[in-house]
Formats: sequence, structure tokens, C-alpha cells
Amino acid sequence: MRLIVLPALAGLILLAGAAEAAEPPPGASSCTGCHAPMKVTDSVIPRIAGRKASDIVEFMREYRSGAWPSSVMGRLAKGFDDAQTNAIAAWFAAQPE
Amino acid sequence: MATRRTFLKLGVAAGLAPTLAPSIASAQGAGRVVVVGGGFGGATAARTLKTLAPTLSVTLVEPNATYTACPFSNTVLANLRPMDQQQFGYDSVTKAGVTVAQLSATAVNASARTVTLSDGSALPYDRLVLSPGIDFDWKAIPGYDEAASQIMPHAWKAGPQTVLLRQQLQNMDDGGLVVISSPANPYRCPPGPYERASLIAYWLKIWKPKSKLLILDSKDAFSKQRLFQNAWAQLYPGMIDWVSLSKGGKVTSVDPSTLTLVTDFGRHKAAVANVIPPQKAGAIAHQAGVADRTGWCPVEPVAFESTLQPGIHVLGDAAIMGAMPKSAFAANAQAKVCAAAIVNLLAGRKPQDPILINTCYSLVAADYGISVAGVYRPDKGVLADVPGAGGVSPLEVVGGFRGQEALYASSWFRTITAEVFG
Repeated sequence: MRLIVLPALAGLILLAGAAEAAEPPPGASSCTGCHAPMKVTDSVIPRIAGRKASDIVEFMREYRSGAWPSSVMGRLAKGFDDAQTNAIAAWFAAQPE
Repeated sequence: MATRRTFLKLGVAAGLAPTLAPSIASAQGAGRVVVVGGGFGGATAARTLKTLAPTLSVTLVEPNATYTACPFSNTVLANLRPMDQQQFGYDSVTKAGVTVAQLSATAVNASARTVTLSDGSALPYDRLVLSPGIDFDWKAIPGYDEAASQIMPHAWKAGPQTVLLRQQLQNMDDGGLVVISSPANPYRCPPGPYERASLIAYWLKIWKPKSKLLILDSKDAFSKQRLFQNAWAQLYPGMIDWVSLSKGGKVTSVDPSTLTLVTDFGRHKAAVANVIPPQKAGAIAHQAGVADRTGWCPVEPVAFESTLQPGIHVLGDAAIMGAMPKSAFAANAQAKVCAAAIVNLLAGRKPQDPILINTCYSLVAADYGISVAGVYRPDKGVLADVPGAGGVSPLEVVGGFRGQEALYASSWFRTITAEVFG
């Protein structure tokens, strides 16, 4: 009985693995506190899900340099290097708009 | 749907021999996560766990059917919004596949890995997430106990206390003295007492302009201090008096029968007294053995697992999160990181090193917002500020900057509550 049950459980674990959603890269999950994954009415904060990755990277670069004026985004963008920013941008670009 | 037969085939195809039995056996129960506390931390953790790993069994233990949010509850005091805009249900959390147990968690058995509920049942878990928020230290200020809070409200858990404080303000005669007692660090929402002072002053200036507001503080500095004090001088000149710790601001006892707050330097008789007492992690954290002598819960900085009890993660206000403040935004951010880490841990993978953000807006007037922001990462065993990032709103601004931050503040509230409860 044991020999039969164990592979069955192993199969369950494999299936569970396959059913997992991809994990966002470091930092990305914090962004949705303001940039909601779903459409929100009466919010002046733009959604970033489904935006072009290159656009997000460009905005972050300009926030970081101060070329684009901002309130909190300039302060936050300085906490991410290029590689981290690229990964976050690619993640949001791949989310449903 | 896969059948039992395909499971068997998969198991065989994966080459799993009986020699692997111990590791499989240890994973046998994997997949049950219990989350205690349905606030910004707990509700986010439960939903994110189901999003990332739909096959997990996730139970959220929360005694209240309706959650009353603390952020923006100061605007309720100033009659800028009705209480019902602060209230949220758990229907969407249930629809996301989370089992919501509308009960209290009364005990945690960390070695047996079970949580006892108020109906006497025991929930087994593989990983437990505690997000219990705060409890008040009713012994910290002589005279200030739970009964006294019905006369001198804390209003530091939003709900009936918020309504009581608003009622007292509305009943007060013009020319009355409102006193706020602000605690030493750490406590829930560091800029909260000063936002509250600002918005009460905003309301008094319109309705009871001869009134004054006194802040008795148990510390010598506070969050966004210069921004608040500059705004008070500009918007509410002569109305708000802040007494620091070193100037005798610490409230050493209170007398509810005469609405008197006592410091080492004097006695202050209030028309309305708002006592925000010292705080500690919610009771279940103490019962579970995850709180230390400070009253708060030490955790490691990657999965927020307790350093005192393995298998128990602590989120939000209850936890010691290094440089991260106790805010709703922080609890929500920590919950998403913790959920991803738990999915990895249950699958035998190492969690990734996280980066977290905190953003916290305060309203100084209806159309005047200020903010603090930070970026955090694990460093030497704690969450530390990423150097060069973060900070507060500029002291000098042009145009509609403050108004824009007030708009961002209300937008943030809509967004985060949509993510957690919507």
C-alpha cells in the first residue's frame, strides 16, 4: 500500500508545482500597493500592468535622474538598479492590461 | 482533471523510487497555510498565496465580518468622509479561494503545528502566518485602561473608537482644548498622531475656531516633523502646540473622571482627550511565543519567519521589520513577499532575497498631502534602507505639489483596498 500511495503523492506535488503562477522579481510585488493589478475608479495613479517594458524602464530612469518630476517615484526609483528595474518592467509588461 | 491513475504514472515517470520515501513523507502534509488576522497583512497574504499556488489550502482566521481600515480614519474625525468608506468585507477573499473562518484564534501549538479556534476546533498547518496587528499596553499609563478608553478614546483601532472621538469633538464647545497623547516609538503608523492633529485642527478652524490642540509627546522627534510643523505654522497658526519629551511631554498618568492628563511638568485638563497608548503585538503572537521582551516579534528578513518559532511567519505592525515602519502599505508589501517565500519553502526551494517598498501619505488638510517613502532589502539579518533611496516630500514646493500628494493619497487608499479586499 505504501509503495502505491507514495508515487501518487509525488505526482500531486509535481502537479502542484506546475500549477504555480510565476513569482514576480524582487521589488515588483510592492508596486501593486499603488499600481493596482485591476482597474480602479477615481485613482490618479496610472496602471502599469501591460505597459511596454521599455516605457516603464524609461520612466524609472527619468524619475531616478529627476528629469521627470514626481512625488514619491523619484525617491523610490533610486532604490533600484538597471537590472532590477528591467526585471520589474518585464514582469509588468507581461501582466494583463 | 488528472485522475489517480495519471498521478501514479507521473510518479513512476518522475523516477521516484521507494528510497525517496522520507522526503516525500515529510512533504506529505505540505500545502496547508493558516493566516491569522484579516487586515492589510493577513488578507493580502491569504489572497497572494492562492494566486501564486492555487492548489494550496489557505485558511484566513478573522473574527470580524467587516474590516475597518485605519489609514484615512483621521479624515472620518474631520468629517471629510463617512465611516462606511473605511469598511470592507471578505467576499472577494473568499472568491479568491481562501477559506475564511470567522472565528478568533485562541492558541497556537508550534510543535504540533495547530491553531486552536474559538469554537474549540484545531486547524493543522504546515506554515502559519500571524498578522494580528497591535494590542494596547493597558498597564503603561496609570489610570488608562480599557474602561478609560471609553472616556478618553485612543481611536488607534478604527471603528467605534473613531466614531466616539468624532462625537466628542462635535459635542465640544468652541474654545475647548483637545489633547492628544502620542507614544514613544515603536507604534502603529508613526506619522498618524500628527496627521490626526492636523485634520482635527482643519475641522476646528472651520467649526470651532477658538479651540486649541495640544500634543503631549513621549518622544523628541517624529515622522515628517518639519513638513508637519511648517504646515501647522502656515495653515493653523497658534492652534497646535507640540510638547516634546524633553520639554515634559510624556504623559505619566491620566484621570478619566476629570479628563486630566498628567506629566512630570504639569496637569492638563482637556475638553477632549485622545490618549494613544503604548502598544505591543496582538495577543495571539504572545500566546504563540513569537513575541520577545519588547512586546514585538523578531523575524528574519526574507520570509519573515519568526526567529523564535520555526514555521510561524509574522507580518505587519506586530513584527520587528528593521527599518520598515508599521504601516498598511508595509504590511501589504511584506505579505506579498511572505506569500511568495512560503510557496517556495513548501516546494523545497530557497526564497528569493526580496526588495520592499513603503509609501505613506499623511493629510495635513483636505487638499494638502505629504509623504514618506522608502526601499528596503535584507542586510545583516534585518530589513535595511537601500542607501540613496527614499525620504520625505520636499520642504519647498511650487504649484500644486501638496494638492497632488493629497490626490495620490486618496488614490492609494482606493488602490490598496481594491487589491486586498476588492
